[in-house]
Amino acid sequence: MIDSLYGAADWSAITPLVIVAVTALVVLLMDLLLGKRVGRYGAIILGSLGLILAGVVAAGGYGLHQTLFGGAFVLDGFTVLFEEVVIIGALGSLVLFGAIGREDRVAGATALLLWSATGAMLLAGAGTLLTIFLGIELLSLALYCLCGLAPRATAREAALKYLLLSSTASGFLLYGMALLFGATGSVTLSAFAAPMLAASPLFWAGIAFFFVGIAFKLSLVPFHTWAPDVFQGAPLPVTAFMSVVTKAGVLAVLARVAYSALPPQAASALLLPLWVVAGISMVVGNVGMLAQTDLKRLIGYSGVAQVGYILVALAGTTAFGLRAAIYYLFAYTLMNLGAFAVAAVLSGDGEEGTQLAGYRGLGHRRPLLAAAMTFFLLALAGLPPTAGFLGKILILSAGVASGYLWLDALLIIGTAISLYGYAKVIGAMYARDEHRSPTTPRPVVPLAWASIALCALALLLLTFHPFASSVLP
Amino acid sequence: MVHHVMGVPGFYPWLLALWLLPLLGAIVCFAFGPQLRRVAGAFASAIVGASFLFAVICWGVGTQTVGGALGAHQVLFSWLPGFDFGLLLDPLSLVWALVITGVGCLIHIYSIGYLEGDRAFARFFAYMNFFIFAMLTLVLSDNFVGLLVGWALVGLASYFLIGYWFDRPSAVAAARKAFVINVVGDVGIMFAIILIYSRIGSLSFGDVFANVDKLGTATLLAVLVCLFLGAAAKSAQVPLHTWLPDAMEGPTPVSALIHAATMVTAGVYLIARCAPLWSASKDAQLLVGTIGGLTALLGAVLGMVQWDIKRILAYSTMSQIGYMIMGVGIGAYEGGVAHFLTQAFFKAQLFLGAGLIIHALSNEQDVRRMGGLAKKMPFAFWAMLTAVLAISGIPGFSGFFSKDLIIYGTLANGHPWLYAVGILTAGITAYYMFRLFFITFFGTYRGDVDPSSLGIRHPELAGVASAHADAEHLHMSGWVMNVPVAILMVPTVFSGWLLFGGTHSPWARFFVSQFAQIRLPAAPISEGLTSVLTFVLVLAGITVAYLRYATPSAQRNAVERLRRETVGMPPVLSNAFYFDAALDALFVRTSQWLGYLAARYVDPLVIDGGVREVVISTQWLGALARAFQSGLVRAYAVLLVAGAACFIAYYALAGGAR
Repeated sequence: MIDSLYGAADWSAITPLVIVAVTALVVLLMDLLLGKRVGRYGAIILGSLGLILAGVVAAGGYGLHQTLFGGAFVLDGFTVLFEEVVIIGALGSLVLFGAIGREDRVAGATALLLWSATGAMLLAGAGTLLTIFLGIELLSLALYCLCGLAPRATAREAALKYLLLSSTASGFLLYGMALLFGATGSVTLSAFAAPMLAASPLFWAGIAFFFVGIAFKLSLVPFHTWAPDVFQGAPLPVTAFMSVVTKAGVLAVLARVAYSALPPQAASALLLPLWVVAGISMVVGNVGMLAQTDLKRLIGYSGVAQVGYILVALAGTTAFGLRAAIYYLFAYTLMNLGAFAVAAVLSGDGEEGTQLAGYRGLGHRRPLLAAAMTFFLLALAGLPPTAGFLGKILILSAGVASGYLWLDALLIIGTAISLYGYAKVIGAMYARDEHRSPTTPRPVVPLAWASIALCALALLLLTFHPFASSVLP
Repeated sequence: MVHHVMGVPGFYPWLLALWLLPLLGAIVCFAFGPQLRRVAGAFASAIVGASFLFAVICWGVGTQTVGGALGAHQVLFSWLPGFDFGLLLDPLSLVWALVITGVGCLIHIYSIGYLEGDRAFARFFAYMNFFIFAMLTLVLSDNFVGLLVGWALVGLASYFLIGYWFDRPSAVAAARKAFVINVVGDVGIMFAIILIYSRIGSLSFGDVFANVDKLGTATLLAVLVCLFLGAAAKSAQVPLHTWLPDAMEGPTPVSALIHAATMVTAGVYLIARCAPLWSASKDAQLLVGTIGGLTALLGAVLGMVQWDIKRILAYSTMSQIGYMIMGVGIGAYEGGVAHFLTQAFFKAQLFLGAGLIIHALSNEQDVRRMGGLAKKMPFAFWAMLTAVLAISGIPGFSGFFSKDLIIYGTLANGHPWLYAVGILTAGITAYYMFRLFFITFFGTYRGDVDPSSLGIRHPELAGVASAHADAEHLHMSGWVMNVPVAILMVPTVFSGWLLFGGTHSPWARFFVSQFAQIRLPAAPISEGLTSVLTFVLVLAGITVAYLRYATPSAQRNAVERLRRETVGMPPVLSNAFYFDAALDALFVRTSQWLGYLAARYVDPLVIDGGVREVVISTQWLGALARAFQSGLVRAYAVLLVAGAACFIAYYALAGGAR
């Protein structure tokens, strides 16, 4: 009997995951039994409720410090914070199905999205290599299907590209795990901190392959090439999901490995390649962003750089750096979701509102929407007085404190480059639009509006609420 | 979190209103532009006028000293430790606030006439009000972060306003250039902020200035160089000056307000504000003083050879700011700030006067096609004359006092070379300003002369209006444009008298608590002799200008003389010493090349969008095959494997070394 193996504490620790996974089942069942009577929003609302419940339950675990399932799952404040990011990200993407999802596919998409989120939540608390692999594959497999969901050839192309390249990366990851197991005789992350491993060639080789896989999933240069293509091809809500949830889940793994699963005397040498690619990503991602004409593709490139920013905070593996990284991750999640929600409001008639050409003159047609978009873009650019700015200050401070000034320098240069890309979009929104394209009546999308409002509000709170200062050392 | 401090001082609401009113105005103009339509201009001007009034009201508290602290300081809200946002009004920020709102208000009123009939009238005033707000944020904030916020926002406002006529490609290009160069400066300030924060742990001016010694010599120098990068970009100092002449693509009132009187002096403000930092580093002072002197000289030299009236004034602005930067750089803070004040008046007047002419001649900007305007436009004549006398430094006019204060300051602080540069530049300044004046107002009207006989080879490139104005039917400006210019004449002539009286002048007493060292050590040449020396060179400059352009024979042969000067212009001068070309070769080409590489190899879709269409297929299997055949996925996979190989190579080497 399973109960004899694992106690109540084990099961209660993964309750949020179970809630999300079961909600997905319920959504599917409901769709099967009630069919069309549920309507467009039934699955979305049910899924959202499940996520919110999971979020509340997960919050209850804050302050605990438990190792469960024989080390496979770790529940601590770190886990809870990443779980919350994942839940927020999933929620913010899920509600966008209302704006553009096709009615007959919403239930299936909702279920897939929830399972994918379950995988990411598993990553937040993963304590062994097996859990990591399980989480990554659960996350990715559901995403392959989601990417190809839209009835467009580009979506299928995106799904295929993602599948092919991601599988290659998974191969690297798995091979690395095998080597790590060979070097240590254990799959538990905490075993990797043993000092003697610093001299084991097998361990170094394992880390090499493992980090290649991680860097791919984080879309760091030079493993980023898939991101813009896949982001552009996937349906808008799925792109939103990928841009935040995938990154949050994999960042959780990376942070846990970097902070607690490497032999201390070799940790900085083992991690160096990641910081180097992070530095390159901040420049390349922002340069790549400049020429884009599609919001999803733009976010794809900007995401490459944004993950680089977060890695700068982690580079010193200091406690302050971790807080800065999590703060920025929350902010990044909210600004991305907000920007995608704006695009969702502009979508309709089977067309997604992500073509930047369609934003020209938006400030005159839809002033409120344009103002919201401006706010999110300013946050992405890291301009004051947004959470993006404060987050960058925290990251820069963390970089200074741990001596990674060259990363700080690359961050600032990357930011400077990105300013132009974001300012271009903002400028276009407020430019005079002489040849106004006839705007087709769009379906009203209250959920997307609610998402915009909540993201903006949460970003403001994140900036000005006193708990922002609790992040500081 | 906003702390509502118990017993908020009485000045506080005024200060807050002074700061936030223009923001409100910008929002209203933007949101209700179509409804406001014609009223928007008056409304926006009234807002800035009210802001000016509040600045005057705050005068008393701004100059008081309470408990050893100068001025009025109010923390607005505590954000994070070391990140308190607050407003600081002391003599320094008060001077700036008064000029920004005072001159700003006059230019707002002037714009009502200048932009009459423009399609986006209300939007223009929304931007202008927003600029005022941003500039006030810059000068009123009590910390580096607030300063940077304002710094970035004025850059944004400037970007929008230079590119205001966005259907002109040259305006869009100029806006982009200004934006890019200013971002370079923003990055510099950002670096400085990080360095300061990492060493001192706070970013409020008070904390930082009290802990200068914590920075250490090397770090302090690094901080100051980074700060100066920002100042140089914003204030158009060599070699980051190339955006300023191009920025003249914006409407003339914008040039007057942003690119002459206020925004471009932000660098002067930054250096004066950080006086305690600069005074602690002789090397940084020398760097700033030298760059300032170089800019003053270079701007003046280039001002001599321009034909576009606004470009003459732009180079003259650059040169005058060079004076100010030189002044605050070598430690003559009150001199540099005084020159900011007087320059704001006379330069705004020069631009607004030029605007009267441009307006009257239907957008003609080439001085070769003007001439003989003294009789046709007597008001513009007198307005320009007072301003030209002021900028040339004729004794009694404002520019004389402030310029001499700087020139004398260089010698007193032990920089004889800069002293020489200052005096020489004063002479050149007088020459090119009177050149402008004589060509424009003397002789006969040349608007109906064929451009080629004036040596103008590409009229469409030289700021020459396509439809030439009829000399008999000039588009004369109404009172709404004339009154602000008339009002500006008063401080243009008299504001320098504030500086009269050495250590006992109102100006020195105003700043005695602001800058530690207000009186400079004695110099080998006395102040009076300096004035005489400068004046001799100024007279020489005017004489040369007169002989070349205003003698009766020169007036008769004006067309031929101008043609010869145009044709005989050395390329090195007409190309402004090739700064643009150098920057272009160094940075623009390089980045274009990088961008090309990126487009070619990193993001094939950007240039090869067609491939995507090929890849598209209705069948999964077909897509699979084609995805490989298209080469994209294969290329990506190759990159992935190559990256992985680098990773593995590193770990093999690094791990093997252990």
